[in-house]
Amino acid sequence: MAEPSRYSAFPAAFTIAFAIAYAIAVDRNLALFTYHPALGEWGLGVQAPVDGPAMYWYGWLATAGLTAVVTGLAACLVPHRAPRFLNHWVWVVPVGALLFFAWLLRGFFFR
Amino acid sequence: MTIFLLILHGLLAVALLGAITHQAIAAWVPAAQPADSFATRARRVSAPAYSGAIVVLYILTMTLGAVLYAEYRINIRIVLEQLEARAVNGSFELKEHFAAIGLGMLPAYWFYWRRPLNPGHARIRAALTLVLAFIVWWAFLVGHVVNNIRGFEA
Repeated sequence: MAEPSRYSAFPAAFTIAFAIAYAIAVDRNLALFTYHPALGEWGLGVQAPVDGPAMYWYGWLATAGLTAVVTGLAACLVPHRAPRFLNHWVWVVPVGALLFFAWLLRGFFFR
Repeated sequence: MTIFLLILHGLLAVALLGAITHQAIAAWVPAAQPADSFATRARRVSAPAYSGAIVVLYILTMTLGAVLYAEYRINIRIVLEQLEARAVNGSFELKEHFAAIGLGMLPAYWFYWRRPLNPGHARIRAALTLVLAFIVWWAFLVGHVVNNIRGFEA
């Protein structure tokens, strides 16, 4: 079996950080950019709708992705114990995020 | 062009659905003995062999979905709101968020399925695969229903 490299913490840290950052980005609307589909235009940060709906989903993905990359790289700097700790949470946190969104959007299903 | 992309999106989703389902079955209920039945053959597939294809298919399917999403936002969601199809609308909102969480899971999913497999990570692999399979099934079924919603109303 291959020895774990110093970068072996990156994937799990990325996944955990992405799920948390994405949930926060959606909940607080922290989009790196906004897309105006009716105009076909992009704008930096969170912008109000112009001539139709504004789409923040792409911006939320970018916010979460950037946060996850930084967190993953930071996790690589922590020796030894980090990967084992991350193993325990790598699937639990995404499941928690799924449940969070089910709760967040419950208004669509229950009046 | 939109219809072509939508069909391509659907075809990729079918391939992804088949691959992740096979892998999830093989990861959770592997068959030890060779057998001739359909169910046992499904359990005996080489689960690690699917992971690379699943990562590629997921990224391709989601990329096409992201391209089509703007069209949905302008032309379809408004119709759903006019029809007061709140549950369908909410299901699609969940689909977009679930798919995003699945995208973020891909690095870990790929890492834990890397060969040679670490026997100590078997449960993590199985759990990640099951969560990803749930996301893919949800996205597929909701996408299918939303795609047909006007047919339901006709």
